Amino acid sequence: MRRAALALVVVLIVAAGLAPARAQAPYYAGKTIEIVVPFGAGGGTDIEARFLAPFYEKHIAGNPRVVVINRPGGGSILGANFYTANAKPDGLQILATSGSTVIPFILGVPQVQYDFKKWKLVKVNGVGAVAYVSPGTGIRRPEDILKPAQPLVYGGIGAANLDLAMVLAFELLGMNVRSVFGFEGRGPARLAFERGETNIDYQTTPAYLSQVAPLVQERKAVPLFTFGFTNEKGLLVRDPAAPNLPTIYEFYQQVHKKKPDGQLRWKALQALLNPAFTFQKALWVPQGTPPEVLNALWDAVDKMNADPEFKEKSKNVLEGYTLFRGDKMEATVIKSLTVTLDVQKFIKDLLRTKYNVDI
Amino acid sequence: MAEALGAAAELFFVPARLGMMLLGVLAGLVVGILPGMGGIVAVAVLLPFVVRLDAIAALAMLTGALAVVHTSDTITSVLIGAPGSAASVPSVMEGHPMARQGQAARALAAAYLSSLIGGLIGAVGLTLSIPIARPLVLAFGSPELFMLTALGVSFAGSLLGKEPRRGIIAGLLGLLLGAVGPSPAAAQVRFSFGQIYLMDGLDLAIVALGVFGIAEIIGILARGGAIAERVDLGHGWVQGIRDVIEHRWLVLRGSLIGMWAGVLPAIGATAGTWMAYGHVVATSKDRSRFGKGDIRGIIAPEAANNAVEAGDLVPTLLFSVPGSAPAAMIMGALLAYGIVPGPRIVQQHLDIIYVIVWTFAAANIIGATIMFLASPALARLAYIPFTRLAPVVILMMVLAAFQETQHYGDILTLLILGVSGYMLKATGWPRAPLLIGFVLANPLERYFWLTVNLYPDPDTWLLRPAVLVISALLVFPFVWTAIQALRRRGVREARAAAVRWRPGLGTMVSVGLLAIFAYATVTALGFLRGSSLMPLAVAILGTILCAAQVIQEIRGRSVPVAEEDEAPEGATGQIVARALRYLAGIAVYTVLIWFLGIRLASGLWVTAFMLVVARMRWPLAVLYTVVTILGMELLARVLGIRLPPGVIALPGL
Repeated sequence: MRRAALALVVVLIVAAGLAPARAQAPYYAGKTIEIVVPFGAGGGTDIEARFLAPFYEKHIAGNPRVVVINRPGGGSILGANFYTANAKPDGLQILATSGSTVIPFILGVPQVQYDFKKWKLVKVNGVGAVAYVSPGTGIRRPEDILKPAQPLVYGGIGAANLDLAMVLAFELLGMNVRSVFGFEGRGPARLAFERGETNIDYQTTPAYLSQVAPLVQERKAVPLFTFGFTNEKGLLVRDPAAPNLPTIYEFYQQVHKKKPDGQLRWKALQALLNPAFTFQKALWVPQGTPPEVLNALWDAVDKMNADPEFKEKSKNVLEGYTLFRGDKMEATVIKSLTVTLDVQKFIKDLLRTKYNVDI
Repeated sequence: MAEALGAAAELFFVPARLGMMLLGVLAGLVVGILPGMGGIVAVAVLLPFVVRLDAIAALAMLTGALAVVHTSDTITSVLIGAPGSAASVPSVMEGHPMARQGQAARALAAAYLSSLIGGLIGAVGLTLSIPIARPLVLAFGSPELFMLTALGVSFAGSLLGKEPRRGIIAGLLGLLLGAVGPSPAAAQVRFSFGQIYLMDGLDLAIVALGVFGIAEIIGILARGGAIAERVDLGHGWVQGIRDVIEHRWLVLRGSLIGMWAGVLPAIGATAGTWMAYGHVVATSKDRSRFGKGDIRGIIAPEAANNAVEAGDLVPTLLFSVPGSAPAAMIMGALLAYGIVPGPRIVQQHLDIIYVIVWTFAAANIIGATIMFLASPALARLAYIPFTRLAPVVILMMVLAAFQETQHYGDILTLLILGVSGYMLKATGWPRAPLLIGFVLANPLERYFWLTVNLYPDPDTWLLRPAVLVISALLVFPFVWTAIQALRRRGVREARAAAVRWRPGLGTMVSVGLLAIFAYATVTALGFLRGSSLMPLAVAILGTILCAAQVIQEIRGRSVPVAEEDEAPEGATGQIVARALRYLAGIAVYTVLIWFLGIRLASGLWVTAFMLVVARMRWPLAVLYTVVTILGMELLARVLGIRLPPGVIALPGL
């Protein structure tokens, strides 16, 4: 009997000794992470999430299973709202967002129930964009945009959507453009440009390089400016993927021979540049997620960036732009999501008066 | 070109890569068979595996899966009447009645052979068109795209059924359902009733599953017995092959229509299938068998829906503008391997394109062969008492619907559309125009809006040569239908005048439709200028036609006649009453899912169904339920399918 009790004590001590050892197994070992994509399958955010999933499996300590689930609806509002209501701070559900998730948040759309400030940033990466015109517009030098040879026609999806940056650029530069909205995406809008139905357009820089640059060589398109890129210090610099083209900031100076700083129109465009381009694709977890979990997710980003296979394969999918660790960029990203009231009012007024969009 | 084809063959005919393609084909076939699930699920399931493969093997796997989804989805449509995917609804309309008449084997053989030929024609078309397709695609401007969708809508004109007015109303209802959600013309969400769920509009798969799938299943249950009463497996196969040979030109026409619809990304893949179906009905002299099991109505759409996938690859590869979600996902995979679709792909990666062509052709041959071999066994499903099959099929449809947004709204929408679909079916409203209207509503409205805005001067687009040609094609069927309607008029009135009106389900449905259109009219009056145009036109026309319909019904001139299979003479009332009880049963199921989640709800409901309806003894009923739920869990694990949770969150369920 006594021997049995002794044996029990020994077993308990050994078990107690083993327990911490077991606890040191990585948090994610044997677990499954869900990346919640608030868009349908086959969209840009979905394709990126599906591309990243196996690399996260490989590089998060503990090698969890990573699956992508789509919860589309309301232009991503439904999925993001769902995430706000349901996600626990356990790092097992991660939300993917894009510019379309951010813009309604910035504009204060009433259906939005989510708040980026209540989340922690896992990673962020972005993309630049290039605006171009057709040679028929007679635009050769920057100042020509104010007196084109033919009326400018722009094809977009919707003024309150990702086209907002382009709309604000027209406003800033003082261009007279007739905008026709209703295209189902930037791809079909580009086809309309190629068909000659529109004569001014923009594409993300990778799409520009692969689809429009050949047209530029054939003299069927003329590049104007890029939307630039925000560096780690928060400054707008030239798009690393298209370093030969002026940013919208430089382009404004070439047209108007002065700097745009201080103007409300410039502040409004500036407010849009980060969410729409530089910080377009982000992953988030709820605040309160334990540090060890966050560190595992953040470290995975560094490991991915060091992985030659990832470098090779991400060249085209991530479109040559860096994948940033969430903790390094969080402050900058969150700051870029905070829009002053005068800017919000300016954008809303512009949309209402010029584009018949009431938010 | 020949050089690249040869180089591609060397790349492709390597055992390991062929093996990957075979895996892709198997995955595509399995996903296709599951009701309501198509290319998206197939590609999504495979993506995690392709990361470990080389580019060629990965492409072989994904293309292999996509190529055969529309080969195998036929079997579900034909045997069970639940559309295997949205693009196989014509096979529900024509193939399923054949299965009930004991001709499942004939329908399936014809479908597989047409799919196979459609796929091969698609592969050849892809080969020939890739070097020259760019200017061809660019020749289709917004006016041409608008006119083409209008042409597609007019094909619905040939599917109007015995009473053209009802057909037109059904088509208008489809256009109205398609208008739910974001307007292409202005930043406005329409008919959303304040629900965020409706902000993106209704999902095609759910509409097809509800209006056809649920409605068919209720119909079969209410009629009782098995799907097919007569066993006729023997020479049906040979007959099906003979049918295809006899209608060989139909196969070719269907394939070309499908291919072309795929090439133009604005039109969409499902529309291609419907255009092929509308085309075959419109050009047939004897239309009396359509809707009751006409083999021609299977051959053309089945050829089309495989060719569509090949056509879809043209804009995907040449313009980096995919026409469908699965093509977009394949494009994502291409990017990961450094293959960038666009104008330079023809110079840089022609061999890769031809690897896709080879895969597409080979996968179609292998897929059709496998289905040929597997079908005799699967065809026996049609002879099982349907009450034993129904719960599994219903469960599958609920799961398929839930994959669309993973919101409970998916299931609720499925239920509402299912009830509506059955009501329409039971009172003799044609449902094909409804689906065509729904599929084409968005491109029709979008490209009309873009056309009038991009070409402010109407002459500049109305007089374009292609617009004129399509206009001529567009007017022809209307004139034709009108002439035929005039000819038949005397006969119909003589028959209709003899019947006396009495209030019933038929009137209820007509009045209900009137109310829907009237409500839509009032609501649409409040929309912004651009976004009110189409819904308002549709709603006003619908209101007028519905009012005329109701008046005529009261005067006894138009009598609801249920579809052929519904009832032996005089028993309609009983069958409808039984059907309503089954609908109530499904409603209870959806409420249970909402509360308890699908695991527990299915546990209770399937057992109850087996005990009460199928009259199984309880040990067997429990066993049946356990197997069903285990099957569901397996699917969830293997295919990554999400299971609806309940509001009462029970641990582990």
